[in-house]
Amino acid sequence: MLLTLDLNDPRPLHEQVTAAIRRAIAQGDVAPGDRLPPARDLADAMGVNANTVLRSLRDLRDEGLLEFRRGRGVSVLRRPDPREALRERARDLLDEAARYGLGPDEVVDLIKDMS
Amino acid sequence: MTTAPRGEPRTPFLLAAAVWTVLVAAAVAALPLALAGRLPDPMATHWGASGASDRAMPIAAAAVRPACMWVVFALVSLGLAMRRRALNRAIVRAWTAAALAWCGVFFLGLQVVTVTANLGRARWQDASPVAWWIVPVVLAAFAAGLLARALARRGPDERPPAPAPRSDIALPPGRRTVWVSSVSAPLGLWLGIAALVAAVSLAAATLAGLSPTPWATSVVLAVVGLAGLALSTVSVKVGPEGLRVSFGPLRWPSRHVPLDRIERAWVEDRRPADVGGWGFRGLPGMATIMIRGGECLVVRYTSGGQLGISVDDAATGAALLNALVSAPRP
Repeated sequence: MLLTLDLNDPRPLHEQVTAAIRRAIAQGDVAPGDRLPPARDLADAMGVNANTVLRSLRDLRDEGLLEFRRGRGVSVLRRPDPREALRERARDLLDEAARYGLGPDEVVDLIKDMS
Repeated sequence: MTTAPRGEPRTPFLLAAAVWTVLVAAAVAALPLALAGRLPDPMATHWGASGASDRAMPIAAAAVRPACMWVVFALVSLGLAMRRRALNRAIVRAWTAAALAWCGVFFLGLQVVTVTANLGRARWQDASPVAWWIVPVVLAAFAAGLLARALARRGPDERPPAPAPRSDIALPPGRRTVWVSSVSAPLGLWLGIAALVAAVSLAAATLAGLSPTPWATSVVLAVVGLAGLALSTVSVKVGPEGLRVSFGPLRWPSRHVPLDRIERAWVEDRRPADVGGWGFRGLPGMATIMIRGGECLVVRYTSGGQLGISVDDAATGAALLNALVSAPRP
């Protein structure tokens, strides 16, 4: 399972972790039915506290993406809604654009130019 | 055998194995029955360390029992080899044939020795000692195994295609990209727990003076149990710090390989039959951590050695390792 964390992301850490796991599910790194690596491994890999990961996993369960089963760990229930998945990436794009001093309108123009 | 279809070695192999199984079973069962007139009933079937016979069986049982044991062994070996397309692989055919030939000749030889020792005796207690006759039986069995292995190895060898490596992993600056995966064998966990429980119970019994078992037994069991636990689950992590392989439910012990010691990584399909079984296989520098057959992440060190780990989604891990290794580092 491939996870990407933005080191300069100003959002709270657990939201970033949630976003990273959601992105991994959306991109098909883990398919519905697959088991997620143990929270401890995820925490160790991302360099965050295990409780942060557990909070993210609970958030994703509440979103309906994950399923907790006793003794079987955490498994993927369904892929996130494409709009939701895109929102994550659009947000990244806007953040990146902001770093170059471009506002949302200019990004929209850019996208319209390309399509 | 010139008519055997090329490319599908499965059918002729299974045919030969079935014929061999039936022939050996028939010979093992028929030998005492055919010579029943010249054998004592019951006949000696077991010899003690002193060389004298110490156990006997009716002739019918002495004929049927080893034949049944042989058939069970043959069916189990064939059953193991028949999973999926395993018989299309030369190494699976070779080892299955070796096991069948070795065991068949061994059963046959034992029966010949048993019957010869009983031949012409009035009572089973008079059966001649067999101590040294075992040696040629074992040697013949080994020779048969080697021969069968060489014969069965010929023919096409199908290696499952390795999953294509991913090369689409970009490493944007300011991001931390990591890959985690793990693989576990619940059987290893239970075997390890069972061995540890046995070790502790034995040690307690010895301590209480209830059991004459030496301490060494408990120690060996404990070591086996700990090794089983450590290899019951393996977790692999690839990140900017390098590769980390952690063993066991406690993620300890673990081994860390820094990025600058890694040359490249790729995916290979390896089976327990290829590397010599499950667990930590091979010597350091050429080792495979085999938890289950299938895709393995293989890492080549700059020192020339390599390490294989059976782990799910190995293609992503290999791609990330390669991306990290080739990326400029501070």
